[in-house]
Amino acid sequence: MGEIKIALQSLRMSILTRMQYRIDSIVATLAVFVRESTNIIVIYLALLKFDKINGWNVNEMLFLFSILFLTYAFVVSLFADLRDFSCMIREGRFDRLLVRPRGLLFQLILNNADLMASVGHGTLGILLFLISANRVGITWDFLTILYYIGAIIGGVLIQGGMFVFFSALSFYFVETNSIREIFYWNMRKFAGYPISIYNKLIQGLMIYVIPFAFVNYFPAQYLLRKKDMANYNEMYMYIAPAVGVVIYLAAYGFWRISVKRYNSTGN
Amino acid sequence: MRTYVEFAVKKFQNRMAYRLEFFMGIINTIITIIVYLCIYRALYGGAKEIDGITFQMVATNFVISLGLSDAFTFNEMFLQDKIHDGTITNEFLKPVNFVFRMLSENIGEGVFKMVFNFIPALLFTLLYASLCPPQSLLNLFVMVFSMMLGYLILWLISFIIQTWSFWLFSVWGIMTIKNVFVNILSGTLLPLWFMPAVIRKIISFTPFGSIYFTPVRIYLGELKGADILYGMAVQLIWIVILAVIANIFWKQGVRKLVVQGG
Repeated sequence: MGEIKIALQSLRMSILTRMQYRIDSIVATLAVFVRESTNIIVIYLALLKFDKINGWNVNEMLFLFSILFLTYAFVVSLFADLRDFSCMIREGRFDRLLVRPRGLLFQLILNNADLMASVGHGTLGILLFLISANRVGITWDFLTILYYIGAIIGGVLIQGGMFVFFSALSFYFVETNSIREIFYWNMRKFAGYPISIYNKLIQGLMIYVIPFAFVNYFPAQYLLRKKDMANYNEMYMYIAPAVGVVIYLAAYGFWRISVKRYNSTGN
Repeated sequence: MRTYVEFAVKKFQNRMAYRLEFFMGIINTIITIIVYLCIYRALYGGAKEIDGITFQMVATNFVISLGLSDAFTFNEMFLQDKIHDGTITNEFLKPVNFVFRMLSENIGEGVFKMVFNFIPALLFTLLYASLCPPQSLLNLFVMVFSMMLGYLILWLISFIIQTWSFWLFSVWGIMTIKNVFVNILSGTLLPLWFMPAVIRKIISFTPFGSIYFTPVRIYLGELKGADILYGMAVQLIWIVILAVIANIFWKQGVRKLVVQGG
């Protein structure tokens, strides 16, 4: 119970902090929204000309993108501190958490929600979902809704797990930004497209290394059943929501082992 | 002039110090190129050409644009940071023109990126995919010149927004929105050939079409003879217009700063 109280209090503080800079917060939220729309605008304009990309029409593409944005909205409000973790270690801010009577990961997850990014991504995700959900031929019954919710939670856990994993790497290496840049941010940019358009190398990365395919592609396939699913094991669609749990637990285990190595940068 | 060349060289050497970042940067660029080529290939869906534009031309457009936009990555919050921590006043005491110093440092960084990031990535790409050769050696040469003009247009737009930090708490949001406009309307992601006619019409009244698309068309030989001169004249006109605007904001901003200092 106490945990929930702390969580709510911490969220309230995040909101109050941002409200000190009201105009700036609104502009920044808008900026995130517009920036993230770039790919949407480009694919929309491209499909005006080309009609389909590997059999996916514009509404199906928007649906695929919407899952990516919705899950990230949760990720960035929960895991914002882990996103900037190497910076936190360098500045010695991590030490503060060590002396508090709560779990480290628990504190990190609650501290500092990046609300502007969350609202920016979330609004875009909801918007795309509303536009596309009824135009892609999904019958929204109990089972599909349940699967959809499971897939969203799974997608949040996959990306959260990746953040935990990369953060744990900071206990071994001083500089982890460039590796994260390649594997997380770069791949995320491309995860909005059906992975079947990529060559084998990128597909392999997306399925087995940085498993963005389980965040949006396989869940969307379960609901849409496009032809290009024939390239992959059908199981992937069914296990997609569970993949998140496995990855998150694995990352958590790695974190527990790594955090023991921590030596402060200060003296 | 020598001082500013020196600034550019210093920045260049500065960047050399980060080896790991350098390798990661190349891998990053290679992945980006491969991914976009995959996207375009999927859009073409096996078609030889669409509206007379071949897949190769699209790939070439992307690679050239990426090269130039790669050269154009520097800290666009530089002026804002200088104003926030107050160190900008120190800059005015130094016997160099601050604006030219900024430009030359950014160019130094850009040349570094071109030489050590883009060109290695490009060579790798050539093993993997075929791009269009330049129409002629002269076209290649003129394109490089036109790319420099494109760089100046990009830089001036960014600088104008940077000067707004004299008045605003943060220009990050506006800068981000600016970059969205540049990315979409200048045809880096979706080549301008495929833009709906209305949007192309709008773009023709803005500097965005002169940034990447003019050099690309010169390289491919889409622009010929007098058209090349016309295209580059348009680039020059935009540089003059933007420079005038930048100068006005800069002058006003500096004046405001002095007033604030009391």
